[in-house]
Amino acid sequence: MSLAWTIARKDLRQRLRDRSAIVLGFVAPLVIAGLMSFAFQGTEHFHFNLLVVDQDHGPVGAALMRGLSAAPIRDVLTVRSSTTDAAAAAVHARHAGAALVIPPNFSREAENGDSVSLRVLTSVDQELDGQVAQSIASSFAAQINADRLSVETALHSGAPAATTGTLVAKAEQLRLPEQVATESIGKHPLTAISYYAPGMAIFFVLFAVGFGSRSFFTERREGTLDRMTAAPISPIAILAGKALSVFVFATLSLATMAVVSSAVFGASWGPTPEAALICIAMALSVVSLTALVITLAHTERQAESMASIFVFGLALLGGNFVFVSAAPPVMRRLALLTPNGWALRGFTDLATSSGAGAAIEPIVAILGITLVLGAVAASLARRTVVQ
Amino acid sequence: MNVVAMAGVALRRLLRDRRALFFMLVLPVVVIIVIGATVSGFDKFRVGVVDNGRGSLAQGLMSEIQRSRGLEVARYPDEAAMRVALRRSEVSAGIVIPADFDARLRTGASTAIPVLAEQANQAAQGAQTAIAAVIDQHATDVQAASFTASVTKTSFDIALRRAQQAGTSGGRVTATQQVVDSKSVVLPSGFSYSAPTMLVLFVFINSLALGATTIDNRRLGVYARALAAPIHARSIVIGEVAIAFALAVVQSAIIVTIGAAVFGVSWGSPPAAAALVVAWALVGAGAGMLTGTLVHTPQQASAIGAPLGIALGMLGGCMWPLALVGPTMRTIGHLTPQAWAVDAWTDLLSRGGSLADILQPLAILIAFAIALLTVAVTRLRHILVP
Repeated sequence: MSLAWTIARKDLRQRLRDRSAIVLGFVAPLVIAGLMSFAFQGTEHFHFNLLVVDQDHGPVGAALMRGLSAAPIRDVLTVRSSTTDAAAAAVHARHAGAALVIPPNFSREAENGDSVSLRVLTSVDQELDGQVAQSIASSFAAQINADRLSVETALHSGAPAATTGTLVAKAEQLRLPEQVATESIGKHPLTAISYYAPGMAIFFVLFAVGFGSRSFFTERREGTLDRMTAAPISPIAILAGKALSVFVFATLSLATMAVVSSAVFGASWGPTPEAALICIAMALSVVSLTALVITLAHTERQAESMASIFVFGLALLGGNFVFVSAAPPVMRRLALLTPNGWALRGFTDLATSSGAGAAIEPIVAILGITLVLGAVAASLARRTVVQ
Repeated sequence: MNVVAMAGVALRRLLRDRRALFFMLVLPVVVIIVIGATVSGFDKFRVGVVDNGRGSLAQGLMSEIQRSRGLEVARYPDEAAMRVALRRSEVSAGIVIPADFDARLRTGASTAIPVLAEQANQAAQGAQTAIAAVIDQHATDVQAASFTASVTKTSFDIALRRAQQAGTSGGRVTATQQVVDSKSVVLPSGFSYSAPTMLVLFVFINSLALGATTIDNRRLGVYARALAAPIHARSIVIGEVAIAFALAVVQSAIIVTIGAAVFGVSWGSPPAAAALVVAWALVGAGAGMLTGTLVHTPQQASAIGAPLGIALGMLGGCMWPLALVGPTMRTIGHLTPQAWAVDAWTDLLSRGGSLADILQPLAILIAFAIALLTVAVTRLRHILVP
């Protein structure tokens, strides 16, 4: 073990003297997480200005204004009156998110049972505001339709026509019997920084596969490996030393990113013990990937090529670049063939506080993939070292 | 002639280099397929449903939700399973039809239908709007039936049938959306956003990665041997520029072709799109060559290439629309060529722009390309003829 540790320490010293490794392992993920955090500052709280243009001046407009000033709508809106032209200009200039226009004679035509339309002025660049405004207008229209239909059906079912006035008055007191009760999915929604901070950390830690495998071939080319095998050091100790250095580097890189992105940029990696275990499992998978590349490649150049292919292939498939949760089920299943896909799944679950035990499945899966890759590598390892 | 020979040498070396081939041919294909698969079906909101209801009203609501054209419905056995899917954003919103749904509505009571979603999320809000429209439609008939049953001697079920028949005939109050500006400052969502931005991102990253070949040429003495032959340094430089440019064009062509053929991406006006691809390939070639002359080892090239490409991509709006970020970040973003390329694609795809509409971003991209290529060529000439 001490021999392995000596080899690992030597490798780590070399790694820390290599500016490329420092850039990829520590600087790049932090810079990128910082950029993301800065870009999304203040965009995660939702509120917009809604302008109301009342050209009707009837009971419908008054009812709409009453509805808009009720909770919970008023929490996301600031409502102001306006004119059609001013409202269109304000929405266009993004001073208001959307506008509702109640056309002239709306109340009268609605009471007569005519087809009438509320207008929702939106901007293509304020899609969310437009959707909320459209939703408010549609709900309001649905209530008017329901009241009209209630009276119509009652009359059709035998209510005396003479009571129409009473029926209308009664129907106006009704509220749609099925109400959408929006519920937040939890106190910890998944933020962009909480997804992409681990995403970028894992992407850059995969580059350690390249460093690790290349250093092995460099040592073989320069004769260091020959000298080690000539000494009373078993091939297993040499490999263990190499593995240990890759593991320590990967763990340090992930830990640095987790600590700094949480403390400085507000990323959530979940509870520390679980997050640490996923980081360790991920670092172990980087070790097994490195071992696999070393045993599959024959030259430094081949090792480099394979490592690059692994890094980008795994990152694309595992969801480090694209938000894989939003992908169709087949893509989500493919992501779970990769250790990084499982790690991201684990961090997503931890960040959205899915409770204790959320990390167990990802950790077991990553370790399973690590063991499979490691077993393949180990069966070829002795041959490679002795060669 | 020497230029062609030098470009040929560079190309032959590249074709024997598996890493270069991966970056050049495989990665763009993988990128476009992953993006295509990830963002397909963006015209529908993915919603989850847990149907705890027992009765015809719950069944009716369920079938209306499933029939809704704007919703792609996934059913879950229980709320816990749906909450997991929601937390992971596998669905944008989740509907729980309560167990006492029929019982309450038939007795004239109202019922709350929990819709679970992340409130500040655009897709979730859109999904909630679509869900509310379906529920409101269903509730309109139920209110009319319930009201009729209470003021006449008609049974709830007969009144419901009458309401459903009447509902499709009479005049209706609607809410119509009117867009005040037809011109967007962001690319349309879904594939049309991802495909051009990923082209900008990955062609640049690949070009930087291929800068490693310049370093290899230097280290392996390819240039020294070429210069020993009767080949002018200028031919070597032009050959290198030509091959870097051609590779960037080939990568772009792969992304454009597969995007259009397999995933039906519209790339806008063909001459404008072609001009943009060429201008971006020149920027990529310049950046790749400059990397090749600035760093000393292929390791340094890969250490710088990926993070630099991703960081510039983020600043330039390849990962998210710059319309989302604050004005300071937008200004900083426009110091990168990526932002101008994304702006030009936005013009082409969101505003149906033509070549004339993208002349400004195109000119800026060409200025970036000239600047990068000038520095790269000067440095390469200096390396060749110290």
